[in-house]
Amino acid sequence: MDFLAEGFRRALALLFSGDAEVYGIALLTLRIGVISTVLACGLGIPLGFVLATRPFWGRRAALTVVNTALAFPTVVLGLLLYGVLSRRGPLGAMGWLYTWQAIALGDVLLALPIAAALAAAAVQGVDPRIRRTAETLGAGRWRTAWTVAREARFALAAVITTAFGHVVAEIGSAMTVGGNIRGQTRTLTTAVALYTSQGDFGLALAFGLILLLLALLVNVALQTLQGRGHA
Amino acid sequence: MLELVEVRHAYDGRVVLDLERFAVPPGAAIAVVGPNGSGKSTLLRLLALLERPSAGRVLLNGAVATPGGAARRRVTLVEQRPILFQTTVRENLEFGLQVRGIRRTEVNRRVENVAARLAITPLLGRRRHELSDGEVQRVAVARALAVEPDVLLLDEPASSADRAAALTLYRALAEERARRPMAVCLASHQLEDAYRWADDVRALADGRLSPVTPENLFRVELKAAESGDLKHACVGTVEIAAMTDKTGPAILAVPPTDIFVSREPLASSARNTFRGRVTGLARRRPDEGAVHVTADVGVELVAVITEEAVRDLALAPGSPVVFSFKASAVRVF
Repeated sequence: MDFLAEGFRRALALLFSGDAEVYGIALLTLRIGVISTVLACGLGIPLGFVLATRPFWGRRAALTVVNTALAFPTVVLGLLLYGVLSRRGPLGAMGWLYTWQAIALGDVLLALPIAAALAAAAVQGVDPRIRRTAETLGAGRWRTAWTVAREARFALAAVITTAFGHVVAEIGSAMTVGGNIRGQTRTLTTAVALYTSQGDFGLALAFGLILLLLALLVNVALQTLQGRGHA
Repeated sequence: MLELVEVRHAYDGRVVLDLERFAVPPGAAIAVVGPNGSGKSTLLRLLALLERPSAGRVLLNGAVATPGGAARRRVTLVEQRPILFQTTVRENLEFGLQVRGIRRTEVNRRVENVAARLAITPLLGRRRHELSDGEVQRVAVARALAVEPDVLLLDEPASSADRAAALTLYRALAEERARRPMAVCLASHQLEDAYRWADDVRALADGRLSPVTPENLFRVELKAAESGDLKHACVGTVEIAAMTDKTGPAILAVPPTDIFVSREPLASSARNTFRGRVTGLARRRPDEGAVHVTADVGVELVAVITEEAVRDLALAPGSPVVFSFKASAVRVF
């Protein structure tokens, strides 16, 4: 048990020491997390709306694909993305392999089906009279969608939180396409994995605590926004 | 003029509405009455362009009206169980006006005005979970009136309202129609209310316009076991005798003019004699001379008698009354 207590002490000391490397990794994780969550939700939530509200040929198949993608192993995703981004791959010319952009791309692909599936469920949970009421009062397609989204705003905020949670906690793809390069592509999760394997439990725990703190801050921020929306 | 032409609408293959023509002329006050499941709500949703008919056309002033077109902004529906958005009552009233890009000052003026007419001004700052069902219904009607539609469709607008609230509602509708040309088409099972304010009362039964007057329509099950053509059907807590060779599901119609109204049972050939109490007296027009007497005789029945007969029998709400009619007067279809 001593090593656990020692680990916590080390973690807290690192957190409050202002260590440039620790904060650099945290900021990179935050940047990748925010960018990929915004992109995944920006694409996934409208896709969820379409899946939930628009009858079209192949809708059931599309829903099945999205729901299957929820369980896509991140290591496999990373592997496929590695193939696509490697020099011989179709997007090799972009030179993204082992960059933070590659990690962000992997995270977008990971979070997009989550955002789409959960948004579809959130929209389907809205009373159908809301849509009919908006329409009969003269709202067009976009205004009606916005009205339905407002009614589902708490569930949609949960979609964003869940997507962010998955993105910052993801390791398989980040390790494969990011390479865990110090000062460039090392994120909180890859740092935890690295320092745990090196036996530096305190440092690994410090990164783990920062990760939790980050998730907590994002949740608090979203809840605050929801509270304002409700007032 | 809003019209349904050769409209047939089905859910999962079951036809719920089959109308050759149903027109709502400009400025008309139409009441559609009929039992539950007769197709009233479906009719209103088709007129409101919220659903496309399985077959047939919806026309507005002769042109085909589509859900995405401009027609939707001229026709507004208040559903039987309306829902308010999760905002304040004021924001609910503003919704349709903001959608139309109306200026803020005009929005405020219309909201204050319509709230005063529906007596909901004290509710403007409240949210939907702070309102009773009756208040929600009044706010929903106010929200629809605020956009000043050419055609207002109301599905059982007074179903959650108490008597005073219902009167406020009908008064507001009358004021609005006096102020500007607006057609109203209302679905109701309350015949008394329908006759009180509608110019045109139409009956719907099993998705079709009924060939008889809309009062006293009942969906029944006619059993084959009885001898001859005299059959009895349970309606409410009473049994109505009818002469018919039909069996199985049917609609019974008792023409209001075929009902004898008396204070005591009459010794007569009438097979149907029911005691009850008068629940309402309605005159469609002051000069008409005919009075619609509604009585609860175990089921609600309406009889049409003269003003003079009402006076002779000293009928008033609450008076004991006997309704009698012959089995052969009952229409079965």
